[in-house]
Amino acid sequence: MAGVLASKAPPGAIAARPAATESALGRRILIGITVAFLTLFILIPLINVFHQAFAKGLDGYLAVFFPPEPDPNAVLNYSQKRRLAEAATQATRTWHSIGLTVAVASIVIPLNVIFGLAAAWATTKFEFRGRTLLTVLIDLPFSVSPVVAGLVFVLLLGRNGIFGDWATQLVWPDIFSLRWVGFGESFWPLAFERTHTGIIFTPLAIVIATIFVTFPFVARSLAPLMANLGPDEETAALSLGASGWRTFFKITLPNVKWALLYGVILTLTRAFGEFGAVSVVSGHIDVNDTMPLRIEKLWNEYNNQAAFSVASVLTFLALVSLVAKIAIEWKTTNEAKR
Amino acid sequence: MADSSRVLPGFSLSLGYTIFYLSALVLIPLGALVLKTAQISPDELWKIITDPIVVSAYKLTFSASFYAAAINAVFGLILAWTLVRYSFPGRRFFDALIDFPFALPTAVAGLTYANLYLKDGWIGGLGPNIVGGVNWLSSSLGGGQLISTTALDWLTFPFTGQTSGIVAVLIFVSLPFVVRSIQPVLQEWDPEFETAARSLGADRFTIFRRVIFPEIFPAWFSGFGAAFARSIGEYGSVIFIAANIPGKSQIAPLQIVTKLDDFQYAAASAIGVVLLIVSLLLLFVINSIERFSRRHERAA
Amino acid sequence: MTIEVQNINKSYGAVKVLSNVDLRINSGELVSLLGPSGSGKTTLLRVIAGIEQADPGSGPISFDGMDVSGVDLGRRGIGFVFQSYALFKHLSVFENVAFGLRAKPRRERPNEQQIKEKVGSLLDLIQLGAFAGRYPSQLSGGQRQRVALARALAVEPRVLLLDEPFGALDATVRRELRSWLRHLHGTIHVTTIFVTHDQEEALEVSDRVAVMGKGRIEQFASPQEVYEKPANEFVFKFLGNYNVFHGRSGAGAFVRPHDIAIFRTEDGERPDAQRGVVWHIGFGGPVVKIELQSDDRNRIDVELTAQAYRDLNLKRGEKVWFAARRAHSDFPPEYAI
Repeated sequence: MAGVLASKAPPGAIAARPAATESALGRRILIGITVAFLTLFILIPLINVFHQAFAKGLDGYLAVFFPPEPDPNAVLNYSQKRRLAEAATQATRTWHSIGLTVAVASIVIPLNVIFGLAAAWATTKFEFRGRTLLTVLIDLPFSVSPVVAGLVFVLLLGRNGIFGDWATQLVWPDIFSLRWVGFGESFWPLAFERTHTGIIFTPLAIVIATIFVTFPFVARSLAPLMANLGPDEETAALSLGASGWRTFFKITLPNVKWALLYGVILTLTRAFGEFGAVSVVSGHIDVNDTMPLRIEKLWNEYNNQAAFSVASVLTFLALVSLVAKIAIEWKTTNEAKR
Repeated sequence: MADSSRVLPGFSLSLGYTIFYLSALVLIPLGALVLKTAQISPDELWKIITDPIVVSAYKLTFSASFYAAAINAVFGLILAWTLVRYSFPGRRFFDALIDFPFALPTAVAGLTYANLYLKDGWIGGLGPNIVGGVNWLSSSLGGGQLISTTALDWLTFPFTGQTSGIVAVLIFVSLPFVVRSIQPVLQEWDPEFETAARSLGADRFTIFRRVIFPEIFPAWFSGFGAAFARSIGEYGSVIFIAANIPGKSQIAPLQIVTKLDDFQYAAASAIGVVLLIVSLLLLFVINSIERFSRRHERAA
Repeated sequence: MTIEVQNINKSYGAVKVLSNVDLRINSGELVSLLGPSGSGKTTLLRVIAGIEQADPGSGPISFDGMDVSGVDLGRRGIGFVFQSYALFKHLSVFENVAFGLRAKPRRERPNEQQIKEKVGSLLDLIQLGAFAGRYPSQLSGGQRQRVALARALAVEPRVLLLDEPFGALDATVRRELRSWLRHLHGTIHVTTIFVTHDQEEALEVSDRVAVMGKGRIEQFASPQEVYEKPANEFVFKFLGNYNVFHGRSGAGAFVRPHDIAIFRTEDGERPDAQRGVVWHIGFGGPVVKIELQSDDRNRIDVELTAQAYRDLNLKRGEKVWFAARRAHSDFPPEYAI
């Protein structure tokens, strides 16, 4: 015996979404074109990388990274010895390029994460004059040719560059040469065995050039999400007495963690794969070779299979990043649904 | 979030750091490029950028990039359309493949394209092999050469010539730009617009031309522009596939590298500035056109 | 033009949205399909339009006695106004209205002058003559609604179909457009069906109302008839608020809030009167809503006219008598699906 308000919607109302109205034949033709185009331009080149890398079988593939040890009992003639020595040298260079690439990426990523967070915070949580200009400038490296990116640092830091006098005199330690020296000589037990002089044509230049070409990625992945979220949650946290840093770590960061991870993955793939900018500042010196530069050298030496073997590592990484991207998208849409 | 009145902390810290990082890494280095170019006398500058070898490099860069972007504009539209609107086995897989060129290092792209699509490559050799096979068959049957070998040039056009090899790898590198810019628009697209046009008696072609295409045009055009701009700057993949002969098959970025190797810093920076100005101008024009074509969509 | 549908069924997967729907609409009539969301009213409208296809085995959809169920949406001669309006964003008001004219095959297409005149007169009809050059984003909701209507009318449809035409508008604009639609229908006399979930709107505007629930038409009659003689409990409940009175027999009787009388002194003529306490008084302008608590602790909603309220001079907490002036009971049992 109660007054009931009318109009209670039953559950399960279905949104009618008409299917595509194209004819079945037209649809089939378009699907055919799509599949053919993607197969020809993406799938076959992708498969070809592994096909060529394994052209000499698994042993040939592994030999690029782990050259065969000479059997101490075997009697080798000169050319056999030379070939083994050559293979060992090549493998050492390849490993060096892998080490350098990983080192560069591990320096670049934290720097770009800090920059990306700061830039996204500044441009999305605040209104200020010149904000649009700032976002355009953050995107600028995307519209600069990698070669020009390398060129500007040569012009800035090279021998005749604007800061050339200072930059060519700069002495800095090689992080690969960090060794334990004990407390005998100094208060500090770690020391660098090697130092470099100058910036251009050293690994430091590679780090700088890589930062240039990769720094928009983190900021770019964070900005749209942070703009969407707006400053409300942070304002609420502050009104409840949380400090600025606490608000950032407890509220902002958890909200954007997947976008941040996505930005890191983009940065990582680009840092591993950058060619043009790095090539220009490396001076084509073997010790400055990153993996892509190493691929070029092997290709120029007509060492096709070795070039593809190194390329297969980068290709595998690219595939992993694609899977990670899909996983993140899946994760975020699922979270949005909840 | 208009005028959030700065209740949040960290404005000066984050903005200051952003500006510092930007200045150190972008503004000062790009300033150095402009400064270096400004030091060249106008006559000298003119001589550098009108040098026949440099001009031919520009021509190659811009024409190959334009062809790649144009081909991607056509096929990118078809790809985006198909991947959004139809369901077919493997759709998600092919959709994921679109991002692959973004993820793959350009050097690897150049390597595998050079290996595949040049004349002795697997796909590049496909045309000649087919022609050879047909001719061998017909001559062994006593019919002589059925297809003239001049047809080869036409048959193998898409991939094997120097320019077309460059175009092929540029298609690969810039494909995602077109597809990924159209896809969201098609996804958000309310099918009710199509139904409305249909209820007013419009046929399928009219619906596409007058209702759907105007809607995706801004995204399509900016995708084309981004693909074009990206191709102009591309270096890593192209040098693998091009023969890199000065005046014939050298792209503009390679000219910069060549000049740098010869310690001709002034010349390198002059070419670099032209490249930079062109790509910035291109982006500006594309943004303007995109904004112009969206002018009615903003509420007054 | 008359419209007749017979035995229409429609399912999405396992969900049945329309079951055995029959409907006959006279020429020139203005009919509303009224029902809660999920009742199938929009689907029925879209099936009549040809946007959706009825399930195989359904009966014919006849316009003037001719089955059009195989005729394509664009050839049925309908004008459809979408809930979202679906105005083309990149086309001006003029071009939106002219769209259907320009889409005609070349032979039937009017020339530029004719298009101009036709669109001009339609824009005058919807009182937006000065807005021809504007774009949809520059119009208010009510103006967009009218442009959508003009666009549908431009192709001179034989029947006008409107899906929740005023759904997205605020209350004032709704009321204005409602009487405007009634007026427009009086001018052009085209057979019109519109879908709504707003009872007041349906009752006020239409010649006849088809009340829908769970995929079937529960009652199809004049507004007065559906309100005063609801065919079943569903129709009664859907058309407004109500109280349930339990008689001594235990069977329920349904009473509208405005069908309850409140009085101070015991009245010999009302042996069924009950006692209650005034719990809350909500002043709603012309109508005052009184909440009573009966002695058996049930809430009773009563609506009085402002005049009756003033005459009674009720106070909160006061003990009063109340009785139903008019009750609905003995609905036919709801048949199972």
